Amino acid sequence: MIVQTSLLVGLVLFSVLAILLRDLLRAAVSLAVTSLLLGIIFFRMNASYAGVFEISVVAGLITVLFILTIALTNKGEEVPESKLVNLAFPLFFVAFIIIDALVMKGLLRKIPALPSSPETGAFGDVLWKGRTLDLVGQIAVILAGVFSVLALFRKRDKHD
Amino acid sequence: MIILFVALPLVVAGVLPLIGKISRRVLPDLLANAALLFLLVYAVAAGRPLIANGPVLQQLTWLGESVNLRLALDGFSLFMLMAVSLVGLCVTLYSVDYMEHYGAKANYYALFLIMIAGMNGLVLATDLFNIYIFLEVAAVASYSLVAFGLGHDELEAAFKYLMLSVVASAFILISIAIIFGMTGSLSLPAVARALQDLNAGPVVGICAALFIMGFGLKAALIPFHAWLPDAHPSAPAPISAVLSGLLIKVSGVYALTRIFLNVFGLTPALSSVLMVLGTVSLVGAAFLALGQKDIKRMLAYSSISQVGYIVLGIGLGTPLGIAGGLFHLFNHALAKGLLFLTAGSMQQATGTRDLDEMGGLAKRMPFTAATNLIGSLSIAGVPPLNGFWSKLLIIMALVQAGHPVFALIAVLASVLTLWYYLLIQRKAFFGNLNEKWAAVKEAPFWMTASTVVLAALCVAIGVLFSLTIKSWIQPAAGVLAEGVQAVIRSWGL
Repeated sequence: MIVQTSLLVGLVLFSVLAILLRDLLRAAVSLAVTSLLLGIIFFRMNASYAGVFEISVVAGLITVLFILTIALTNKGEEVPESKLVNLAFPLFFVAFIIIDALVMKGLLRKIPALPSSPETGAFGDVLWKGRTLDLVGQIAVILAGVFSVLALFRKRDKHD
Repeated sequence: MIILFVALPLVVAGVLPLIGKISRRVLPDLLANAALLFLLVYAVAAGRPLIANGPVLQQLTWLGESVNLRLALDGFSLFMLMAVSLVGLCVTLYSVDYMEHYGAKANYYALFLIMIAGMNGLVLATDLFNIYIFLEVAAVASYSLVAFGLGHDELEAAFKYLMLSVVASAFILISIAIIFGMTGSLSLPAVARALQDLNAGPVVGICAALFIMGFGLKAALIPFHAWLPDAHPSAPAPISAVLSGLLIKVSGVYALTRIFLNVFGLTPALSSVLMVLGTVSLVGAAFLALGQKDIKRMLAYSSISQVGYIVLGIGLGTPLGIAGGLFHLFNHALAKGLLFLTAGSMQQATGTRDLDEMGGLAKRMPFTAATNLIGSLSIAGVPPLNGFWSKLLIIMALVQAGHPVFALIAVLASVLTLWYYLLIQRKAFFGNLNEKWAAVKEAPFWMTASTVVLAALCVAIGVLFSLTIKSWIQPAAGVLAEGVQAVIRSWGL
């Protein structure tokens, strides 16, 4: 219980840091730590595949992409932000914590538990046989990403 | 083979950039138009006989094994597929000439077809997570298409669109997660059945609120509309036409309607929320449109207002209201597609979107002026054009259901709509020709042809409205009016 609570508190803290930190590199590392903690929580809840993907892809691969991109950018002029925007997140966060503490426990009790459905099963079966249309969709997302890069980083010879 | 609606645009999109290396213009133009023409013909000719005996469920096999490629085609989804293919085809025709000066045409068509595949996949999906995935497919392609011009405004608008769309996706995903936790399933019929058996009103209410925020952002209903007046005007004209004509309706209105009417079941509370949201959107956006000088921005606000009509009609929940809402969805897709395309022709000819700088363009661009007038009158609801009949159905349904105040607001907002569309006509097309535009010429052939086709459809559907309602709208409205049973009875495998 103590370990689980510490992990959850760490998860929230590092997520908040990822948003609040002004230094992009530190923000990216905070996000990586958040994913790492989430991955550990997944492992502890017996969702080992989710844990592996969370740690390898989100904490690993995406962090590398973030850091590479940040390394490629030039440090330009500071963009001034209004104080209202800086205040918005902490206010929203505090309001969320209060609502969460007051409502969530009662709400979760009201969710009736149903017996597990036929959609559970071995990981391979669920991924390849159960969620095949999602895989088609994911191929489409990857294609869209690749063509977006090709289109948006094209030579601007004509339009400009 | 209803999987073709998803697979064909995806496969063509996959090969287009390679073909673009061989032929930079002709083959990509041909392939993209041929793919959409095929989908339109398939939807119109093969679709209706397919669903003549009820919804079609397709469970595909892969290498001899049954896999979960499960798609469903019913009156509602076929109607949406037809609308997507029809407007999509007119837009690709228009793009033949319009996208010439942007370069990278093959990549443009590839992204466009992926967006079409995403919309078609969403419409055919039978599972909440499939809906989410295809929502993202269409969204990812649309972010890059908004930014396709690579100018500062385009990139900023695409970024704003991306940020707000991600928030929308998060709301949708949280709601899907709660539903999965509660029902143990993601499949629409199973969820619909489980929710009927469960006594989980408050939790379903929270899921509905999250969906309203998520899909409301996608549909740009007020107060979730902030991204649309930036994103739609900044995109290239054909993309503005698809975003306003189709994407907000498929990823916002369709998804919301399918889930609320066929999975949750429309309760009086949900109905009231939708009607109020629709009314606020249709009035608020009409006032906001009045103050605009940028023609595409005015059209974008008009889209929010017209989506308000659609949500008001469907949210009412009566068969007539649903039919009116769906008919207006189709009419608005045609007319707003047409208006964005003509605005693109005007922008390309004059280099500006500022209405105050235009004037007298009807003398130089007679086809563009005439088609724009038809589109404007159609959306404003002037008889005998298509928009008149759909607005009339919505207003009649409101009166019939005992909501005269909503009906009155809808009529008054229609007058506002006519006002700002007449402003466009007066400022852009009539009056003395601004000397700056003395050398302006009519838009190139394919750009004009596609707008003429859309304008002719607005007139033809207005004249043959009863045939359109009978063949396309009633089967779609019937599925929604049947409520939860439509999915439980026909989609359960």
